[in-house]
Amino acid sequence: MDFYFGMAQLIGVHTLLGLSAYVVLLTGQVSMAQAGFFAIGAYLAGMLTVLAGWHIIPAMLLAAVASALVATVVGFPALRVKGLMLVVATLAFGEAVRIFWFNFDYQIAKGNIQVGPLGGEGFKQIRYFPENGWSTADVALFIWAWVIAAMVALWWMDRSRVGSVLRAVGEDELAAQSVGINLTAVKVSAMGIGGFIAGLGGAIYAHYTTHIEHLNFGVVLATFAIAYPILGGLSSVIGVLIAVIFIQGFLVEVLRFMGDWRNLLFGALIVLAMNVRPDGLFDARAMRTLRRLFGTRDA
Amino acid sequence: MKRLLTIAAAVGVAMSVGTVADAADRTVKIAGFGAMSGVVRSFGINTEAVLRAAAKAINDAGGVKLADGSMAPIEVSFDDDRCNAEEGISVVRRLASGDAVVGVGPTCSNVAEPLFGILQAKAGDEGDSGLQFPIFTDTAIKGGLAKISEWAFRNVPNESQMYKSLFEWLATQHPDAKSVYGGVEEDFAHSRFTWYKVMKTRSADAGYEVKGESKWLLNDTNFTTQVREMKRAGADIISISAHPFTTCGVLKEMARQRVKYKVLVGLTSSSSLETLNGCAKQAEGIIIPTSFAPVNPDAVAAADAAAALGGSADLHSAAAWEIMMILKDVIEAAGIQATADSVQADRRAIRDGLASLKTTKGLLGEIQRTAEGEAVKPYVYVHAADGSWAVLHDPNA
Repeated sequence: MDFYFGMAQLIGVHTLLGLSAYVVLLTGQVSMAQAGFFAIGAYLAGMLTVLAGWHIIPAMLLAAVASALVATVVGFPALRVKGLMLVVATLAFGEAVRIFWFNFDYQIAKGNIQVGPLGGEGFKQIRYFPENGWSTADVALFIWAWVIAAMVALWWMDRSRVGSVLRAVGEDELAAQSVGINLTAVKVSAMGIGGFIAGLGGAIYAHYTTHIEHLNFGVVLATFAIAYPILGGLSSVIGVLIAVIFIQGFLVEVLRFMGDWRNLLFGALIVLAMNVRPDGLFDARAMRTLRRLFGTRDA
Repeated sequence: MKRLLTIAAAVGVAMSVGTVADAADRTVKIAGFGAMSGVVRSFGINTEAVLRAAAKAINDAGGVKLADGSMAPIEVSFDDDRCNAEEGISVVRRLASGDAVVGVGPTCSNVAEPLFGILQAKAGDEGDSGLQFPIFTDTAIKGGLAKISEWAFRNVPNESQMYKSLFEWLATQHPDAKSVYGGVEEDFAHSRFTWYKVMKTRSADAGYEVKGESKWLLNDTNFTTQVREMKRAGADIISISAHPFTTCGVLKEMARQRVKYKVLVGLTSSSSLETLNGCAKQAEGIIIPTSFAPVNPDAVAAADAAAALGGSADLHSAAAWEIMMILKDVIEAAGIQATADSVQADRRAIRDGLASLKTTKGLLGEIQRTAEGEAVKPYVYVHAADGSWAVLHDPNA
């Protein structure tokens, strides 16, 4: 059972990462910076619990706010470009963050050992959960409380005027602008919200793995972040969750026995999934079916 | 009455057969895990081959004696963690949820470090909810990792001691060499640690002038600038702290730029077949301290057994052979049950057994065990000569 709770933790963390990219994608922007915001949340929350002895919740919230602020600041210049240029700009930002942590040393003595980030050697002993007696089930529940809160918030936002504005910008910027929508404000806000959620995810990730290093936050993670909402579909936040379960639960875990073939099949299955379900695994039709099943009206 | 006795006898026979069958069905499950895919997959492949070869040798000799005196075979499984921390954690959580009594792995230090972090730090500490699953590491070599948890043990060489001894020996063999220049695979935890905390400091301790270092990354394929810096430094000794893939790239570039040096030193992990397969000509003469070389009948037998299963015994994978033999002794001394109900008690008994070891038998001689779960292993210096590794010097001889 412990293994399944562990898997639930991992899926929860990646769902937060995917949700952070989902918000930005709603505005039609492809951001590869989510891994950078995730890294900021991871390192800051780790430093707050390990070096400053904070409780995990305020540490997570502060780390998420810091990530959101950085995302907002980054959003202004980055969002002046779009399309491929934005991909390159956000990718460069993500790499800059990774390199920053690669060169960042700040250690203090805790007992007879030094703790804190140590550049390329990483940041170890982020053991808040086990040191405070949290069982694997406790941690899984804790993570999923945050995931559900984020999903419900985004679900609500999606059904509100804010969601309509985000989608309007994503569908046709010119039309949105012509009805008085401030494109920069909308895009930067989406970036900020995405940064906050990525920061939360990163904060949990650091405490899930107990050790983080710059290599955890590279291009591969940024690609995963953007792959989740694209593969899952932008119709609903549920799509992100389904994509994370498909990738982390099935492709990574179930196919582990395949060794190197898994990497090959990994790409092939994603291509196949995108061909069979071009609008995502959980597209508008699946959404309508779900609504019919639960007897709810379209928004 | 006669019928009753017949039935009773039949039931008795059936029960005894059942009991015998139960004992025969019991297996001691040892779970290996490491990188079976990605750029360092060769390490995992070799470890798996060696683990299976060692298990076969033990099983051919009758298996492992359990607490009740019966013999049980060892069953080895092996999982791929892709040298990825998240996947390593998932693998070990799954193993800990199953009936394996001990884990052997991982390959990469960047997996070992988080993995040891999710284990209980102090055995028996009820306030610590970390996993209670013993892990015995054969490959992840970055210094000082086992102290993270009392459930973590390693049978990896002590690089600090090896390079201290090597540089001191080089000072006697090459008195004309006065300076050292390093090359470091900057983004790989083990390589980085070994240059900055081991090679650099140990060479300075031995009286060499350290003229600096060139840096590159694990995925780099072009080393022109780094080698130009190396050439400009003009050091007598070039000390490369990198794995076979980039070591070969740098050596080829050094040959192209005609870098002159008196002595070439390599990282422990590069004393493997991969280096010779990749750049035997350019690696000719490189000196590496290693805790394994087929220099005695036991080591030759282990290497042959691994080769028969498609693996290569090197300083990392040969450690897995030693681990299996150590575990056999510990399991027999601890008297485990190997039943479905005794899994956690068996794990604890194995952990306690491993923690109490002061010395163990190794392929090159006696291995010292430290209180922190680390090993101090005998070693030799090998050098690449005519496309193979040959023993250059045995400090213990």
